[in-house]
Amino acid sequence: MRELFSGPPDLRGRPRQDRMLSSVMAAVVGYENALTAVDRMLRAKVPGEVDLVDEDLRLVIAEVRVEAEDVVSLRLSSPDGEALPRWQPGCHVDVTLPSGKRRQYSLNGDVRDRYGYRIAVRRIDGGLGGSVEMHTLTEGTPIRVSRPRNAFALINLEKYLFLAGGIGITPILPMVRAAERIGADWKLVYTGRSRSSMPFLRELLDINESKVDIRADDEVGMSTGRELLEHSAPGTHVYCCGPIPMIDAVRAEIRETGRNPLHYERFSPAPVLNGKPFEVQLARSGRTIQVGAEQTVLDAVLPEVPAQQYSCKQGFCRTCKVRVLAGEVDHRDGSLTARERETEMTLCVSRAAGDRLVLDI
Amino acid sequence: MSQPEKKIEDPDHLVLQPRDVRFDWGRTPAHWIPGEVLLAHILNVTHMILPEIERWFIRVFSAALPLISSEKVRADVRGFIGQESVHAESHQGAADHLTRHGIDVTPFTGQMEWVFQERLLRPELKGTRARKWLIWQLSGVAAGEHFTAMLGEYILANRKLDEVGADPVMLDLFRWHGAEEVEHRAVAFDLFTHLDNRYWARVITMVAIIPPLIWLFIRGTLFLYRNDPHLPPGSRPRMRELIRLLREGLLPPVMWLIKGTLKYLRRDFHPSQVGSTSAALEYLATSPAARAANH
Repeated sequence: MRELFSGPPDLRGRPRQDRMLSSVMAAVVGYENALTAVDRMLRAKVPGEVDLVDEDLRLVIAEVRVEAEDVVSLRLSSPDGEALPRWQPGCHVDVTLPSGKRRQYSLNGDVRDRYGYRIAVRRIDGGLGGSVEMHTLTEGTPIRVSRPRNAFALINLEKYLFLAGGIGITPILPMVRAAERIGADWKLVYTGRSRSSMPFLRELLDINESKVDIRADDEVGMSTGRELLEHSAPGTHVYCCGPIPMIDAVRAEIRETGRNPLHYERFSPAPVLNGKPFEVQLARSGRTIQVGAEQTVLDAVLPEVPAQQYSCKQGFCRTCKVRVLAGEVDHRDGSLTARERETEMTLCVSRAAGDRLVLDI
Repeated sequence: MSQPEKKIEDPDHLVLQPRDVRFDWGRTPAHWIPGEVLLAHILNVTHMILPEIERWFIRVFSAALPLISSEKVRADVRGFIGQESVHAESHQGAADHLTRHGIDVTPFTGQMEWVFQERLLRPELKGTRARKWLIWQLSGVAAGEHFTAMLGEYILANRKLDEVGADPVMLDLFRWHGAEEVEHRAVAFDLFTHLDNRYWARVITMVAIIPPLIWLFIRGTLFLYRNDPHLPPGSRPRMRELIRLLREGLLPPVMWLIKGTLKYLRRDFHPSQVGSTSAALEYLATSPAARAANH
């Protein structure tokens, strides 16, 4: 017990340790002793280290429909006709393709349909192959799908402006339906190359034709950020989903006017720019790993050290900072102080300035 | 089925992510609520105690990560850790701001560091005993998060602070923080129940942490009064001032706090039953600090 009283300095700067705090901490120790005794009496279970349990859903493709040029929708349902977990507008699922590729798709059906999830995929030839593979799937194919999660939540408001570009209509469609159901004052501006390339036009017009503004590039030209936002009252929350140039244009316009709160889906972290490959030695295990030019240190470290902490993956939350034992660092975060940078780095964005780092992990 | 709905269902199944924020303290005075020294100092206590408490949350949660078998709980915990880390840094920024204005809070924060980084984690415990203590600490985080969620809900709805002219940057810090607390209010509870679903354990911990929390606020407020060079020597917080603040709705009503705490003691309690995620996300979409960082 002695070490408990080697407490912190006194709060008023008197030349002794802080008695009050030391006694409080002694009480904590007594409390822990008592709890341990009770735990022992009741034979409390002690959880151990575990592997992740697979929580994915095993579904089948119940229906495939062509929705527009290069766009199909898939209706996924349970093979035994059971109700699926509930979801809300903005939710997405991770779909594991037969090839093992994993892709995120927004649910775009009706939240009231408890027996099917509908997703839509635009085929991108020369992409990473996920969309092409999705387009080969036929009715009856079994498919693994995660439970719905929401990174684009629709909140309760009286007024909304929805902006959708092309396949970006998918998360917006259930939002439009929900806004109409509560009788909100909403408007949708839906852009795309041409009407024939824009999925779900009929469905949207059926929800409320007078609130849908369809702006096809081949009819009115490419819409600017200003045009997309021109009819929004100040303070109206904007929900935007579409190609990155469209989101950037809307963000730039809002940054300038400051008139509208903006909601958009946060995609995976920005890709590594101007990265060179290098080598990282993990001091605690002595192992050496290679970091590719387009890979982050974090992604290279995680397979070796699954317990490594991280969170934001953008260099601001400081969760993944570790001590650097040797090597020059190219700091790319926005959160470490100059002093911290002398000895530490963030794994999620920072890299080696040279060709080798030794890290205290 | 086809009954008209009145409002959008409160969002659930959120992907939790930390948000980057920028607070510019350049124009915030030391006494950031005109004429309300006691109120400002009670709120300032959070800058002195939260950074270390939040860093403790992070350490406890990090230690619990390998024990989690659910992918959803693990993802929530990772998001929670990132959010708490940004909260800790932001309140630290406000604490440093006080120190720059001559109210040196470092003796107090040094004690907090000693308690939450050295003693409370009990590194001397080994084996199953250490594991059990970890679980008890998790129940403490869950109980603490119940208060932060309640206070978050309170600060989001409170307009009195704007009326008395509180500094907008400071208010944004409290509201942004409060909104993220409401957003992630179920994470610590879900983690605790995922690992140890003993009802009475959660009750004992809630009862146990209330006195130390009140004590920390009193001790912190007295400390600030003693060390505030802008106050006449010998200034002390007065009970009648405190009662006035409660009466004017500038502090959370005591009965409301008691009722909210009692809800936690219900056997079928879940944090999703209290607070509005929608209101929290609405504030986060408008928070100046979040928008400043999101350029």
